[in-house]
Amino acid sequence: MKLVPDTNADKRIDPATKRLVRTGVETVLNPFDEYAIEAALQLKEKLADGSTVTIVSMAPETGKEIVRKALAMGADNAVMLSDPAFAGSDVWGTAYALAAGIRKTGFDLVLTGTQSTDAITGELPGALAELLGVPGITYARTLAFSDGRIRVQRETETGYQAVSAPLPVLVSITKSAAEPRYPSLKGIMGAKKKELVLLRLADLELTAAVGGDGAKVELIELAAPPARGKGRVVAAADGAAGAKAIVDFLKERKLL
Amino acid sequence: MRNVIAFIEHKNGQARRVSLEAASTARAVADLLGGTAHAVIVGGDAATIAQQLQTYPLDAIHILADAGAEKLIDPAVDALTSVAQAAGPSLILVGNTMIGRDVGSRFAARVGAGVNADVIEIVVDGGRVACLSPKLGGLTITTCAFKSDYGVAAIRPNVFAAKQAAGAAQIVAIAPSGKAYAVTVEEEVEEAAAELGVEEASVVVSGGRGMGGPEPFKTILRDLADALGGAVGASRAAVDAGWISHGHQVGQTGKTISPQLYIAVGISGAIQHKVGMRTAETIVAINKDGGVPIGEFADLLVVGDAFTIVPELAKQVRDAKAVHA
Repeated sequence: MKLVPDTNADKRIDPATKRLVRTGVETVLNPFDEYAIEAALQLKEKLADGSTVTIVSMAPETGKEIVRKALAMGADNAVMLSDPAFAGSDVWGTAYALAAGIRKTGFDLVLTGTQSTDAITGELPGALAELLGVPGITYARTLAFSDGRIRVQRETETGYQAVSAPLPVLVSITKSAAEPRYPSLKGIMGAKKKELVLLRLADLELTAAVGGDGAKVELIELAAPPARGKGRVVAAADGAAGAKAIVDFLKERKLL
Repeated sequence: MRNVIAFIEHKNGQARRVSLEAASTARAVADLLGGTAHAVIVGGDAATIAQQLQTYPLDAIHILADAGAEKLIDPAVDALTSVAQAAGPSLILVGNTMIGRDVGSRFAARVGAGVNADVIEIVVDGGRVACLSPKLGGLTITTCAFKSDYGVAAIRPNVFAAKQAAGAAQIVAIAPSGKAYAVTVEEEVEEAAAELGVEEASVVVSGGRGMGGPEPFKTILRDLADALGGAVGASRAAVDAGWISHGHQVGQTGKTISPQLYIAVGISGAIQHKVGMRTAETIVAINKDGGVPIGEFADLLVVGDAFTIVPELAKQVRDAKAVHA
């Protein structure tokens, strides 16, 4: 899971530093990842065979309390990849370090969200599956395990595919899967005692560079998009008048 | 990187529009690099799709005519990898779509390629390729150059031109990988009529909380979208209320789109929604409240009753089109 700026905040770029203004913007758990956590917890509860749910997150140590929220939801333990050396990692570097952390932890099934609300590249699940060397099933809206295979309904643009694969496998979970639960008071109290391991760069024994040095892309420029000003406002007395105002406008713009 | 390879998505014997845009862009960028332009097609229909692609000025079209391969990600990644490795350092163009992102990200991780997602422009400077992408919901536009030998650009649908031109592309068969794939597709179910998704439609008619229920999405909004040759979209409020499926959602937790025309009906235009549609070329809003936030960035806000304006608009649009025809 990833920590992101609060989605409800109107984000701003500081014109001088060209960086995101983080002051006054709360950091939260990426909302897309909450669906994956919920799916993991439901599967664990259904299996009731001693399976455990581990949260893995690459985030600065200051994000600990947010990771604890996932533990409060019911996950068993957490692993945080926290090291200043990870800063500036691109999709490849993030997937590479996460794969190392997940391998070290051990896994049968890796669940992710489908994207993050800040970067929205949607490229991490595929890259992570590849670097873990396991099959990847993306955009799952249901999740079940039977006869040794993970079975999901994978959303397509016009419907779904019923897909299955043996373990180990990576599955990305969509928001249609299940509404994430709120942590109970008991969960919140219990989360404080759950194990939260911090892994540093050295713990991962990586062979390639991560962070800004290892990135495969380089930011050259940040520019403001062309501004969108306030347009025309027309009050419509009735349906015909409102429709005519729009049709005239579309003709003016050569859209009709 | 010198060469450019477009990965072609297709369905029901037709190449996706964004893939045609990728093919056309492959040629344009290859010319700037002094390299060659390629397309990769996998699946049972690959040969048919290759014929369609011959109306684009490519140098080679590589096909893996393997029935069912189009349903899986792994065969596509294997095919793309073999073509890319034969071509040498190259830029791979995929659509910024569900399949394009999956294939692109896996390929990139396999060969250690950089990835630029949601690309709206590609520039070549001194042989170096860089991509422009809106970030933070269009708040800023980043220009990111590739540092790797191979690069993947996931292009936003509807932004690049799909220019046909006479070409003499050779059709080349890709050698099958011979691998057994662990993922099995047991069933493919179509739930929605085969319509253009909001990402690719040039006109999107969206409804929000002001629609009050699921009916308008199937009736008046659908009818207006049909009249304009577009797709039906929705705000998060409408999707969360269960009035229409998530695939139609425009905004931060839905899709980010750039149609030529976006019509927002009964949508207030809160930041959540705005980030998904503010790069539309023209925005028209219909709302009963003249003080809604969307009024601050819509090109035209009509204040009135959507339930009478929308059906009348569909009629007037049809009339206007009939005059031209």
